[in-house]
Amino acid sequence: MISFIKAAVGGLAGVCRAQGHQGPLTLHSHLKVLSAGLKTYEIPPNYTDVVLPEKPKLKFMNKVPNLKKAKKEMKKLRDIQGPAKAANTFTSGQYAIVAMGGGYLHWGHIEMIRLTINRKMDSRTTFARWRINSPYKPITRKGLGQRMGGGKGAIDHYVTPVRYGRLIIEVGGKVELGEVEHILIEVAKKLPFPAKVMSRESLAAMQKEQADMEQNNQNPWTFKEIAHGNMLGIRKVLSPFDLHNHGRFTGKFHLPRRV
Amino acid sequence: MAATLCIKLLPKQGWLPLTQTVRHGSKAVTRHKKPMHILKQKLMAVTKYIPPPRGAPADAYPPQSKRVQEGNPLILVMRRDLKKVFQDYKMIAVVQNSASNAEDMMVLKHRLHKHGITVKFFPNQVMLSFLMDSVYRNMAPLFIGPTVLFVSKEPKAKEMLTTLRASPQMTLLGACIDNTLLSAEGVASYSKLPSVTVVQGEVVSGLTMLTSRTAALLQRHPAHLSALLQQYVKQQSSGDRADEAT
Repeated sequence: MISFIKAAVGGLAGVCRAQGHQGPLTLHSHLKVLSAGLKTYEIPPNYTDVVLPEKPKLKFMNKVPNLKKAKKEMKKLRDIQGPAKAANTFTSGQYAIVAMGGGYLHWGHIEMIRLTINRKMDSRTTFARWRINSPYKPITRKGLGQRMGGGKGAIDHYVTPVRYGRLIIEVGGKVELGEVEHILIEVAKKLPFPAKVMSRESLAAMQKEQADMEQNNQNPWTFKEIAHGNMLGIRKVLSPFDLHNHGRFTGKFHLPRRV
Repeated sequence: MAATLCIKLLPKQGWLPLTQTVRHGSKAVTRHKKPMHILKQKLMAVTKYIPPPRGAPADAYPPQSKRVQEGNPLILVMRRDLKKVFQDYKMIAVVQNSASNAEDMMVLKHRLHKHGITVKFFPNQVMLSFLMDSVYRNMAPLFIGPTVLFVSKEPKAKEMLTTLRASPQMTLLGACIDNTLLSAEGVASYSKLPSVTVVQGEVVSGLTMLTSRTAALLQRHPAHLSALLQQYVKQQSSGDRADEAT
């Protein structure tokens, strides 16, 4: 940049020299390159290969699944325990809200996410995609003022179970993280489980850090070995859930910094 | 044995325990973390992640292969000075300076100046970058840590050593005297040699002595000379015979 300006000044001086003998001396004495005020701007990212979908906004989700016969189900807490097996990697977007624990999303939460993001994001440059299904798990309640007994209550509402590490929504398009981060953070704070805004890079970095921790653990005793070997009969106090997750989860909660 | 134990442990007939515990099924807790069993707590404590020991910070040690910026004008000037020093001076001694204060250094400089030895300071980086390109490449290992150069036009090793004896914080590492690289012991043994003029005088005197003695013999009486020659011939023949016998 500075060299360019110098070249320009040199060219100007050359022109002056051609016109008159006195010119360049006076010009040189008055022209000073102020390098302190010059700023080199970063080259903006290239979005030429980004294709926006036809409908960039989040779709409306049904409050109740369209079933012929609604059946009451058991609690089935397994569906919020442990790490997510599905939708734990990026597909089309660049940034996402990632669940850092298990929990249930109601239709209300889903509406909140949809309205906030559709209202605040710029739909000409950004698109958003759901990574969760519409509420499908029935939750039963007994009616108000009803006596106990008399069997299981009626279906009250439906929820979407979410496990640790699941992506809730994906955002992408011709945007940088700084432009959408505040919207996503605002949404992530209101979810019923700890959630984080992550980009493709930061999610990969988190997974790499976990792999590194497993690789470089200096502790000779690992949960996996002890639990699988049933050392000192420890299996008596461990659940099958612990055998799979090696003590990284208690129920729906994720315990950080464990291998 | 077993029978007696059973008898002792069996409750009395017709007796009901005063407190009866009602067993509930395990609750499905989702709101908070379930309290952990003490054994599991211990297991979790034992199997904590232990990170590998942290290495030294990146800038704790100087990089192994760092070249001095060649374009820096100050460094160019210093290199030029160094070149001149290596051309002009015959004795270049490398001395380690272990925390001598300014006063000590001033006294030392003054004492060395009496013998015409000057003290010079150069940054090690500049020194190494100069040495690597010159014929004095083998001096490079001497320049580690705070080092000082003692230079003089004449090789005055003895004077330098006597002066250094008075200042214990300066340690002689090695020297390049008359284009010869010497270690500290080498410098000490070099200082014990007599000076060049004395050696030259000895050589000259040794050479002249032979001719002067021949001349003195020739000037003696001829009878004395012939007797000496006869004696010499006899000695030679006896020596030859002895050689043949053996």
